[in-house]
Amino acid sequence: MSTPSTESTAALAAGGGPLIRFSNVTRTFTTGKSSSVTAVDDVSFTVNRGEVYGVIGFSGAGKSTLIRLVNGLEKPTSGTITVLGQQISGMPESKLRHVRSRIGMVFQQFNLFTSRTVAGNVAYPLKVAGWKKDEREARVAELLEFVGLADKAKAYPEQLSGGQKQRVGIARALAAKPDILLADESTSALDPSTTEEVLRLLRRANEELGITIVAITHEMEVIRAIADRVAVMDKGRIVEEGPVYDVFSNPRSGAEASFVGSALKDRPTDADLARIRKSTSGRLITVSLRNSAAVGAVLGRAAALGVSFEIVHGGMNTTKNAAFGLLTISVEGDDAAVAGFLAELRSAGDVQEISTGATGEEAAR
Amino acid sequence: MIERFQNLDWSYYLPELWEATQETIYMVVMAFAISGGIGLALGLLLYTTREGNILANKPVFATVNFVVNTIRPIPFIILLAAIQPLTLQVVGTGIGNTAVIHVMVWASTFAIARVVEQNLVSIDPGVIEAARAMGASRTRIIFTVILPEGLGPLVLGYTFVIIALIDMSALAGVIGGGGLGNFAIVEGYQRFRPEVTWLAVIVIVVMVQGLQLVGNRAARKVMRR
Repeated sequence: MSTPSTESTAALAAGGGPLIRFSNVTRTFTTGKSSSVTAVDDVSFTVNRGEVYGVIGFSGAGKSTLIRLVNGLEKPTSGTITVLGQQISGMPESKLRHVRSRIGMVFQQFNLFTSRTVAGNVAYPLKVAGWKKDEREARVAELLEFVGLADKAKAYPEQLSGGQKQRVGIARALAAKPDILLADESTSALDPSTTEEVLRLLRRANEELGITIVAITHEMEVIRAIADRVAVMDKGRIVEEGPVYDVFSNPRSGAEASFVGSALKDRPTDADLARIRKSTSGRLITVSLRNSAAVGAVLGRAAALGVSFEIVHGGMNTTKNAAFGLLTISVEGDDAAVAGFLAELRSAGDVQEISTGATGEEAAR
Repeated sequence: MIERFQNLDWSYYLPELWEATQETIYMVVMAFAISGGIGLALGLLLYTTREGNILANKPVFATVNFVVNTIRPIPFIILLAAIQPLTLQVVGTGIGNTAVIHVMVWASTFAIARVVEQNLVSIDPGVIEAARAMGASRTRIIFTVILPEGLGPLVLGYTFVIIALIDMSALAGVIGGGGLGNFAIVEGYQRFRPEVTWLAVIVIVVMVQGLQLVGNRAARKVMRR
């Protein structure tokens, strides 16, 4: 894990400073008399004002615990957490409440109050924050307009579809004008088209209202659509962190490869490799498509460089503002020619060789 | 049997039946008026102090849980006799309807505590977490989330308890109280007049059916999920 010194310096220069700072945070749950599970393991990161910070990982990676540490719903076993300029680790519940009122939260299962109408749900955090009745009503109307549910104000949650419920959840989370929005698997219970709708809404909240968002998810889609920076979480640790483009566009090795790879489908799986091996005997090379035109140019000169190649696997994806992907080719030719070809390829993108017979993960070790 | 009803001295039994019905209603309403609130508080205490809930507190939960489990299984007829010294202290008499009400309060308070706790367990913990995430205090969560969200099941639970109170009141005669139970035994059973016993049965069945109907409707009205 890197301390993102460049980002925080930039934010400080802009008069902000990180809104959220985790320093060596660990959260351990005791599961029995002598057994325990470390859900979050020595995690450090910062989130700057106005940023969308994504955390991605398989279920059980500790993401849910991580996001609940941000608003104090979970307490760290060790380490310090600073949110909105206040150290919340070790803060008593009564003081935490004030910090929480400046942090909205959206849940996977929506968690709407079934006994309250849509308007009642959105008004609840305003009541907690002590808003006057007429101000509350105006704010609720404004928010329902923002999420496109003005006509559902008097409906009960049971009468809404999943996507509508989540839009109410977002309106409720934004009601008290929070600085931070926590999105806990906010689209995981939704179908693809509704997911799109909810992600657009989160993006608007970030862009139009300037709200800082921390989103945890197991869906690459969410990260690609809204995140500026991403942390890949595995077994309680952040195994990779950085701008979304950088994290996804590099050929990877180790723990992060298994997640990012399986989600992006841009590198061959073990099954793919076995199938590829049956039809080709060349050296398997993976190259990043950061600059796909340059990669294309090198491939175009393959014959002139004395090698032949075959495309065996590939995938391209887009993030919030760029495209990236990986291409796997099988290269044949004499050793010197292949070495020359690879040297040219390296100038066009990041190159990694998949060693024969070994799985991707073993190759990395 | 129909013949027996036809030969019944209605001018005697009807006023008697009416008085017994009023006594039963009086005992049930008085006992419930007191135990409804105390039982709710106790049930909320059980629910909120349970491990993982908003006021999680092992010693408090264990103590209340133990007391509830100790008093609740005592059969009502035994409780009537067993706490008579206490009844004497509290209401000044060990016999009659007032004494019965005192014992009914004890029995139903602990029954309600358990019923409330069990019905609140069905509340989605997610909505409580959502309220916590908004910065709501624990007291606010109890009154504006837990109670409204659990209201439907609570109404059904309370209906069940009121019917149980009618059941308890039928034993009033054992310590000199009145009501429909006493009427059925003294006027019917002991005088070999099963038709008189059945008069009480009919009134009780009608009361219970009516209560359950009202309870079900009210619960359906407040339940939104």
